[in-house]
Amino acid sequence: MRNIGDVLKQNLMKREVIISLVILLVLTYLAISYGLSIILSTLIIFSIFSIVTLSLNLEVGHTGISQFGRVISVIAGAFVVGAIPGRILAFLYGLPFGLEYADDAVNYKVVPFIHKILEKNIALALGFFLFCLVLAGLSGALIGWLTSRPAIRLREAYLGISLLAFGDFFMWVGHNWEPLVGGTTAVFIPDPFRIVWGYRIQAVAFTFLAIAVLVYLFIERITKSPFGRTLKMLRDSPLVSRVYGKNIVKIRTQSLVIGSAIAAIGGALYVIYTGTCTAIGFTRLTWTFWPWAYMMLGGIGSNIGMVLGVLVLTVLRTLIILYRKSVFGFLLLWGIDPIWLEYTLLGLVIIFIVLFMPYGLVPEKAETVLPSGRIKAILESVRKQSSRTPEN
Amino acid sequence: MLNIKNLYSGYIKLKILFDINLEVPTTEITVVVGPNGAGKTTLLNSIMGIATVFAGEIILDGIRLKNAPPYKVAQLGISYVPQMGNVFADLTLRENLMMAGYMLSKEELKNKTDQVLDMFPVLKGFIQRKAGTLSGGERRMLAIAMGLMRKPKVMLLDELSTDLAPLITKRVMESIARLRDELGITILLVEQMAKRALEIGDKAYLLVSGEIKYSGKASDLLHHPELSKLYLGIKEAE
Amino acid sequence: MFPPWLAGGLVYASALSLTAGGITLLYITTRTFNFAHAGMATFGFYITYIFYSFRGGNLYQYFPLSFLFGSLLGIICYIGLNKPLLRRQASTITLMMSTLGYDLILLSIIQMLCDYLSYTFKLYPRRVTMSAYDFEMFRTSAASIISPIIAITILTLLHLFLTRTKFGTSMRATIENPILASASGINSDKVYLMSWVIGGGMAALGGAVMSLTMTGTPVMGMTLIAQMFAGAILGGLESIYGGILGGFIVGLAEYVGIYYLAVMVGPWILGYRMALPLLIMAITLLLFPRGLAGIQWSYLMESIKRARKGVKS
Repeated sequence: MRNIGDVLKQNLMKREVIISLVILLVLTYLAISYGLSIILSTLIIFSIFSIVTLSLNLEVGHTGISQFGRVISVIAGAFVVGAIPGRILAFLYGLPFGLEYADDAVNYKVVPFIHKILEKNIALALGFFLFCLVLAGLSGALIGWLTSRPAIRLREAYLGISLLAFGDFFMWVGHNWEPLVGGTTAVFIPDPFRIVWGYRIQAVAFTFLAIAVLVYLFIERITKSPFGRTLKMLRDSPLVSRVYGKNIVKIRTQSLVIGSAIAAIGGALYVIYTGTCTAIGFTRLTWTFWPWAYMMLGGIGSNIGMVLGVLVLTVLRTLIILYRKSVFGFLLLWGIDPIWLEYTLLGLVIIFIVLFMPYGLVPEKAETVLPSGRIKAILESVRKQSSRTPEN
Repeated sequence: MLNIKNLYSGYIKLKILFDINLEVPTTEITVVVGPNGAGKTTLLNSIMGIATVFAGEIILDGIRLKNAPPYKVAQLGISYVPQMGNVFADLTLRENLMMAGYMLSKEELKNKTDQVLDMFPVLKGFIQRKAGTLSGGERRMLAIAMGLMRKPKVMLLDELSTDLAPLITKRVMESIARLRDELGITILLVEQMAKRALEIGDKAYLLVSGEIKYSGKASDLLHHPELSKLYLGIKEAE
Repeated sequence: MFPPWLAGGLVYASALSLTAGGITLLYITTRTFNFAHAGMATFGFYITYIFYSFRGGNLYQYFPLSFLFGSLLGIICYIGLNKPLLRRQASTITLMMSTLGYDLILLSIIQMLCDYLSYTFKLYPRRVTMSAYDFEMFRTSAASIISPIIAITILTLLHLFLTRTKFGTSMRATIENPILASASGINSDKVYLMSWVIGGGMAALGGAVMSLTMTGTPVMGMTLIAQMFAGAILGGLESIYGGILGGFIVGLAEYVGIYYLAVMVGPWILGYRMALPLLIMAITLLLFPRGLAGIQWSYLMESIKRARKGVKS
């Protein structure tokens, strides 16, 4: 029986806790100086990218797949939400819904019309929102299944490069094929949060955070389950797994399908939040490389690490955006926009982690099946037994 | 000349050798024999800096080698002739010898090449061919020639007799003995075909499962009734 | 002499051949897929652009400077990043990620450089059409003749270096069998450093050549990195010559291929030109994983020789 004091002391010294407290202080400071809306928008971005990074960690950290095409699944969710749910509502209400829906002249008039309907009908808004998420999840799962086909045959960097190239390709398709999501001009997404007019950002923040928590709990359940342990075994010793009769292909596919579905939900949330779907915005930088950086900082394989990684870097990025004029304003003397420092930051973070902290903030620990108390008791009894020599 | 004390080594995290103590006296042939998987190649790799040394000392003529990169060990005068991957298959014979004599000056290179080709005249005919086109025995000869190019004080030879016909093995062993007698090279010889090696050796060590089980004169081990039968497959009648 | 689609294609393909060759060299020596090739190529273009903007004259004379700057970037990458990671026997993914970090830093520097140039010197470095400063030669753009010549020259120089010099031979030895090479007294450090010098230089040179047919932008390299990798993969990642040839084929196939498709089905298809190198890469990886290197060149040469003998008699 350990008392609360000891438990607290032990936990407080953990790195994760210290970092979280620091972040909390920073956020409080920001809230006081800049107002709540900054915090809320940071939280929204944090929720979305936590979801995407957790999905990436499932595939990379737990299954060992070089997923450099994370943007593909995000695009799957985003484009599907951009293209379909709005059209369905348009169809139901006698508005143009065909290929011309994405044409900016048409879209510009249709969507506000839909908004008037959503404003009044809470059931419809809620249903619309859930429908978007479900649709995104399904299309993500499908894309996950499709990308699992090459993932079976290619290894490591080859797979990474292939997925990367495919990600680029899908972005260009979206950018060029107008009827999909408006091509170079964006498509508007009907906003289910219109109903809370005046408190939109709070509602979005609250909902998205709740969804992120659900995703986190879901992934925790999966990775701590027998399925999760099988994934780790596959990652560390594929030969041994095969000897034990595990179907590598099937399990990897499952992992990819789940990861992809979750990432797609992240993409859907993003377009719902911004209200538009612009293909060119889904670059590999934002949706593959930044999540990799979050994941590497957090510690590949650790779910709580993911969240921490996203938190730390999202807050850092917000700080750069806020303070770019004051701290880095001197650059403007030479006409240099400090916003480029975001890239420098990302590059430095990646290099720093790779060189000095390859295991991230929360290194992966060996998983125990029994609680640590029971294991200690067993060790003790074994030790007592073995110290009894035959003479005694 | 070469002293190994309390060596524990392996590859990255895999432990292969445990508490190895070994002495390779100057101008002698020291033989290390043992069954498959005993760790004989790992021993040579540890000296060369290819395997990871976890603990212990490797001392060459007073200089400590511990996880020094292979090229530094080579520059100190240790020449390694591995069992596998012992020639550059894509390079011609001449280029192979040039690489082996990388540390030599242009003149030394020419002289040594002539010297070595005189020792192995068979290779003269293939000098422009790619080493990968050679037969196993010819490749072995080239590997030994390359070993000699490096002006060695010490030569580490890994299972030279594998896959060779008995008569050829006898000749190879005789030429190794000549290296000691005529050129004064110190030799650490690792072998599975123990009998021939022990016949020319001075000292011998028996390595089993990563540990030294016997050390002493080579002739003693050769005639040891139990050990030679158990581990080395040497029949009593011989 | 060349119709415009072929002229542009030759420049594009030559540029890709240089970059793909560099990527292949870096991979076969250090197991690193150099993502920073994108930044190095873009830097190569900007070095030429900056010198040309300030000193004028013939823009080709600045190409060697671009090469040297690329080598410098390569040296920095090796000493600061690649060497410590290689010492730790880092995985291929870790090595690639490290070059990604480096590339992002290079990109940020390029962007800031563009800001500075447009503000201080009133230039327009974000959309540069270098081909406007090119001249004509034999009734076609000089670039279409000079670019393939550059590619072939580099190829020849590399070949001579690798086969006729002691250090070059030691590079081949290290590529084939790094342990045996080291045990022979060859300092692998120097070999790896040299491959970054050559690889970085080729990347920058490729970028400079590329700017003669593509609009020069700060993200030029980033946009093309997938094609560069496709060329290297087609080459088989076993020999530099394969990479150079692979890059050339991918470049020509993409440039000429999309042109013909556009003629057949309409200009809308131009936006999907990425599909062609992607297709080549997919086919190579799935069906011919060893790429061009898998073709038995010596066997092919023998068959050709035999066929010609047969025709003679």
